[in-house]
Amino acid sequence: MRRELDITTDKIDEAALLKRRKLLGDMGAVVCFSGIVRGEEDGNPIAALDYEVFAPMARRQFELIFDQVEKRWPVASIRLVHRVGRVAAGEPSLWLETIAPHREEAFAASQFIITEMKRTVPIWKRAVAG
Amino acid sequence: MRTCVHFYSYCKELTGQTSVLENMEAGSRIEDLLRKLMVRFPKLAPAQQSLLVAVGVDYQRADYVLQEGDEVSIFPPVQGG
Repeated sequence: MRRELDITTDKIDEAALLKRRKLLGDMGAVVCFSGIVRGEEDGNPIAALDYEVFAPMARRQFELIFDQVEKRWPVASIRLVHRVGRVAAGEPSLWLETIAPHREEAFAASQFIITEMKRTVPIWKRAVAG
Repeated sequence: MRTCVHFYSYCKELTGQTSVLENMEAGSRIEDLLRKLMVRFPKLAPAQQSLLVAVGVDYQRADYVLQEGDEVSIFPPVQGG
């Protein structure tokens, strides 16, 4: 399974990521997910979220999640970008692409990755008032 | 044995530190370290039940026996995405 992980303070460039997509002949499903910073939290407007990361451990935990995906589904490729630092409302903080032969495993693996990320990957966020 | 402890997210505010050194007896477990930290940083105590603990880059349970050179990290529940 191809893996690509980027934890970065740079803006997520979805167009560039899509340009680098590699598909094999037997891959029939691509699930792409973007997590966007909402403009409010608990009913209050916010300008941005500040993301803090414990980077070495975050990389390790993402790799453990990808290991589990590889064991459970015939996924051909995972590419994940998580932005850290200050991310303005309306901008993506997370981009995930999962490529698999069929939609069932592509959706299931994508959902699994995000759910596990929110459980184990040491990233925290703090609202910046709007 | 001196154990280095790193704090993340609001644990930094609760302790006023990003990292500290604690003197631990050989054979001490993470639960022993946490007890010492709660005394040293009483503001951490209310959050104790929800705190997560890692050694190096892996999560560890309270009964993990600390080794010389271990780097321990303490942080609240994670919130990626």
